[in-house]
Amino acid sequence: MTHEIIGHLLSAGTTQFTVGCSVSQLNVPSFGALVRAPLGEGYQVYGLIHDIHIDDDGLVRQLVTADNVSEEVMRDNRERRIVPVEMSVLAVGYEQDGRIFHLLPPRPPLSLDVIYLCDRKDTARFTERFGYFRHILNAKDLPIGEVLAAHIQQAQSAREDKSWKDRATQEAITLLRDDYPTLMAVLGALGEVV
Amino acid sequence: MPINFQEVYAHIREIGLGARQRRQALDERRALARQLIEAFDGELDLLRAKVDAAKAADANLRCAVPLTEPLASSHPLPGAAIDAVLLAADGSQILPDRHAAVQFGLVNVGAIVMKSNSGAPPQVHTESRLLFDHELYTETGSVTQDDIEFSRDIAERKKLLELAKDHTGTLIALTDGPVEIWGAKSADEGEYQRTLTEHKSILSQLQSRGAIVAGYVDKPGADLLVRLLELTRLDPDQMKDVRRQHPLRGVTDRWIFSGILKSRERSAVFALQSSSRVRYTGSLSLHFFYLNVGGERHPSIVRVEIPEWVAKDESKLDLLHAALIQQCQAMGARPYPYILHRAHEIAVVSFEEKRQIEQMLQAEQLRNDEELDSISAKQSAKNLAGRTRSK
Repeated sequence: MTHEIIGHLLSAGTTQFTVGCSVSQLNVPSFGALVRAPLGEGYQVYGLIHDIHIDDDGLVRQLVTADNVSEEVMRDNRERRIVPVEMSVLAVGYEQDGRIFHLLPPRPPLSLDVIYLCDRKDTARFTERFGYFRHILNAKDLPIGEVLAAHIQQAQSAREDKSWKDRATQEAITLLRDDYPTLMAVLGALGEVV
Repeated sequence: MPINFQEVYAHIREIGLGARQRRQALDERRALARQLIEAFDGELDLLRAKVDAAKAADANLRCAVPLTEPLASSHPLPGAAIDAVLLAADGSQILPDRHAAVQFGLVNVGAIVMKSNSGAPPQVHTESRLLFDHELYTETGSVTQDDIEFSRDIAERKKLLELAKDHTGTLIALTDGPVEIWGAKSADEGEYQRTLTEHKSILSQLQSRGAIVAGYVDKPGADLLVRLLELTRLDPDQMKDVRRQHPLRGVTDRWIFSGILKSRERSAVFALQSSSRVRYTGSLSLHFFYLNVGGERHPSIVRVEIPEWVAKDESKLDLLHAALIQQCQAMGARPYPYILHRAHEIAVVSFEEKRQIEQMLQAEQLRNDEELDSISAKQSAKNLAGRTRSK
């Protein structure tokens, strides 16, 4: 099992949490990736990255007005200045004593908890069933189709079962059968990966 | 109501009514300044004699002293991008507050090392020195604001020297403001002399390492060339009272050099006549030039203070000139050396950080059963929330 750290927890609620990392760590996480926050005693929270956000500041706003930004200045701003990358994560389940639940976690991670990217084995275990899809499809403020498409693409590459992507798509269609506009948006995005 | 706006507004109206008259007076003085620059542009011996005469009447006179170049001469940006190691340091401080619950001070120094054209990220350094208990007292009383500011200034320079020792190649060491360390009137003379001696030692060590040392003065307010021009208008009687004679009041060096220097050009190098002349002597004596870091349409004139060993070395001047322009260009629309801004950003202590140190100190005192003080009633009253309106 690999342990790729993507950052530390900045803030959390039951349904979502925010993770911060430095720009130099940004090559690890990606939109739609499944992440986990191990909290000890066999308990860990799972989530899906649905937004990666980099805030500007006064200096950056001024620097963009320069004719050209030198490599030294660019790396200073990315690697030395305190400009964290923030990732918003949708809670999609948790694990307790080796058993995975596609329910909201009983308690969220705490400040500065380490957040890991799920490896192939974690991903395969968590995506065995599709119960967590309802958390994604109910998050009306998110770009549901894009999150689901990115997740399905990444999850499929972690799984040996090649029919998983088709079953996942079928599950999404079933869950959205009474919500035609959302279904169309989701199918549009899934069309790019299925 | 915190301000009597009616009273202030009445004065503002009066200011407005006098605008035309002020403009006319300023135009006349500016025209005179232009004439004087033309008339005395190459009269360097005469100008130096004027400075000597004025200096005899007032040793603290502050003005420019021409060296070998005409007053209105200019130098274009030399060559292409330079390869140099740029060092910058800046400091900030927390002053002890007798109204606070816990008495402490802090000197914080931020420093940055940047290798131009290397593509490498800069190195950043922070040094924080907490002052507590006996460190807040002198032999005769408590440390003053000036004492802490001296500590900060000298800590900045020490850090620059330390970093200079760690690097080789062309070194350019920058600080914000003049090179000289100022001795405020309220400062303890002994402390100032100690700081001055240390500062001169640091400068000499930087010189021996071949470093280019400079102080960058943004929006300079000391009109040193204007003061020199004013001296040419004074007769011997007026010269005796030179401090009160300001025939060009309102004309600024920034205005003069905005009309002389094209974008990225520097002025002639001048020696600095000031009270510092007796303190910084020989190769450490202070010199300066003006630099237009702005564009063609929006000149931005800054003053760059340098010691003599830089002023007299043409190649060092060119390297400094090029490095400052390169640094200012990095900041885009509002030119200022990027590295100095970053040193400030690293050094500055926020109110929140001050509060955290205060809490850490109090927690430690509590853990060790030490007696805790409380904030003053005056401070407590000031901390009360202002009146708010309920919805």
